[in-house]
Amino acid sequence: MPLEILHGTNFATVDWIIVGLYLAISVMIGLEVRRYVNSMAAYVGAGRQVGTWLGIATMTGTEMGLITVMYNAEAGMKGGFAAFHIGVIAGLVTLIIGLSGFIVGPLRRHGVLTIPEYYERRYGRNVRIVGGIILAGAGILNMGLFLKYGSVFIVGITGMNPNGNAVATVMTVMLLLVLFYTVLGGMISVVITDYLQFVVLSFGIVVTTVLAINQLGWQEIVSTVESRMQLGGFDPTASPVFGPSYVMWMIAAGLVSCAIWPTAVARALAMKDERSVRRQYTFSSISFAVRAIIPMFWGVCTFVWIANHAPENIQQHFLPNQTGGINPELADRFYAMPIYLGQLLPSGLIGVITAAMVAAFMSTHDSYLLCWSSVITQDVIAPLKNDNLSVRARIAITRCGIVCIGIFVWWWGLFYPGGGGLWEYMVITGAIYFTGAGVLLVGGLYWSRASRRGAMAALLTGCSALLGLGPIRTRLTDLLQSSTGLELKLTEAHVGLFSVCLTIVVFVLVSLCCPDDPAEDPLTAADDKLAAAGEES
Amino acid sequence: MTIWQTIWAITLFGLLAVFVVLAVAVTVLGARDVIQMLQGLNDQLEQSADEQDEPARPPSE
Repeated sequence: MPLEILHGTNFATVDWIIVGLYLAISVMIGLEVRRYVNSMAAYVGAGRQVGTWLGIATMTGTEMGLITVMYNAEAGMKGGFAAFHIGVIAGLVTLIIGLSGFIVGPLRRHGVLTIPEYYERRYGRNVRIVGGIILAGAGILNMGLFLKYGSVFIVGITGMNPNGNAVATVMTVMLLLVLFYTVLGGMISVVITDYLQFVVLSFGIVVTTVLAINQLGWQEIVSTVESRMQLGGFDPTASPVFGPSYVMWMIAAGLVSCAIWPTAVARALAMKDERSVRRQYTFSSISFAVRAIIPMFWGVCTFVWIANHAPENIQQHFLPNQTGGINPELADRFYAMPIYLGQLLPSGLIGVITAAMVAAFMSTHDSYLLCWSSVITQDVIAPLKNDNLSVRARIAITRCGIVCIGIFVWWWGLFYPGGGGLWEYMVITGAIYFTGAGVLLVGGLYWSRASRRGAMAALLTGCSALLGLGPIRTRLTDLLQSSTGLELKLTEAHVGLFSVCLTIVVFVLVSLCCPDDPAEDPLTAADDKLAAAGEES
Repeated sequence: MTIWQTIWAITLFGLLAVFVVLAVAVTVLGARDVIQMLQGLNDQLEQSADEQDEPARPPSE
């Protein structure tokens, strides 16, 4: 990358002070709330004391991470305004979930802490353990690139040299900070820092968007997208980047990201009651749309800025062709948006925005680390030990798990070769879990004939989404092309949709062919065990 | 193409306006929820401390 552009960033000493202050406050909160952690419910579910408005803040804080900003900006840079359809679908699906209470309402009524806990109530212990392993595995893989691309943003906006060890250094420092206060405070510190993040980030994204429109002008933004991308820059079904199968895939992803994805559902399960859950989802629908559309718009503005205002060598680097969006094959394309923000925002404000982004980075990490680690503890290790684990042991295992996952994420971020877009990576890794989980939840909550064997088969079939992962999909495409002789272009959307359909078919067929024995009702057995565990804790 | 441009303009500016209102509401009412949550957790903490103390009390009490 031409490095001279990095010297143009407005990041100054005062901005470092602002970011430092924010980080110090976050760590102090982690230390302060440590005294409230006296049970697993307090550590993992904030003692179920979260009200509606705080619930909206924490859900937004978690789901609007720095990685979200990065992958949505990438979608905007590549696909123009057409990328907005992802945000619109996400917002509409969340609104429908909030108004109807679909999935999340009955789940909260069951009073479970995690989704695999529900698996046990409905399908038995084995499904819970297998579901927990798949969930944690897919979830950890899903967050594998969070640390790297969050660090890329910080390196880009602050103007550090990306060719040195800057990314690896920032990754290490940020990870240590997140581990420190997540291990200490659990969900209570997560909820409070999420609230702080919501306040800072809301201010930041509104001001940045207004500044971007003011600098470039709405007319210039629209006309540049129109001249370089034509109709495909606006209509997602006509876009070479998206297309009809991608839009369908996004409908599935929209449902999953709010109603099935465990970090979002964890917020629902930490709410006071079902009414609060539904209100939380109804209002959060705005945040779910904003978290996608605003960063996408920043991506569009970055593209317009590079096309019309950046030095020629920068234009040549990011936009080598006269038509289309930013070069999707470019490994350093993720630096474009933070560099643009670094030049757009004045000193002082850039510090606030960076603090907000660092907050977003940290709140996503803490929530995800806590979520996956508590799944391993509650849904894999504890059931394997027949629930003979003390509260202290559970919290200790969860804390160890957080550290181990953190180390894995650091390693994966440095060494994963990549391939395809960042958002596509997120969805396909998530699909390893959600194709099975979605079918199990909907089937378990709304279909009385769903059986344990059907559930187990669906969970395992859902893992077929793994075939959509960049390097595996490339080999699969080559294999299909050489065996059939046809010119096939297999996308993440194709593999994901195939996996979802296959999982539904397998679940229904196996449930009908192998129904449960009424004498072995997991609902009764699990209720007894959970009641006993509850009394013990 | 003009229809799409209008749709995305309304989506962006409409969403931004609604988000500003939501952000103000969540900032104010969320602060109240944080205080209530900490009070609730404090009560839980005191309750569990009382329960731990109970077996240690002499039977005459």
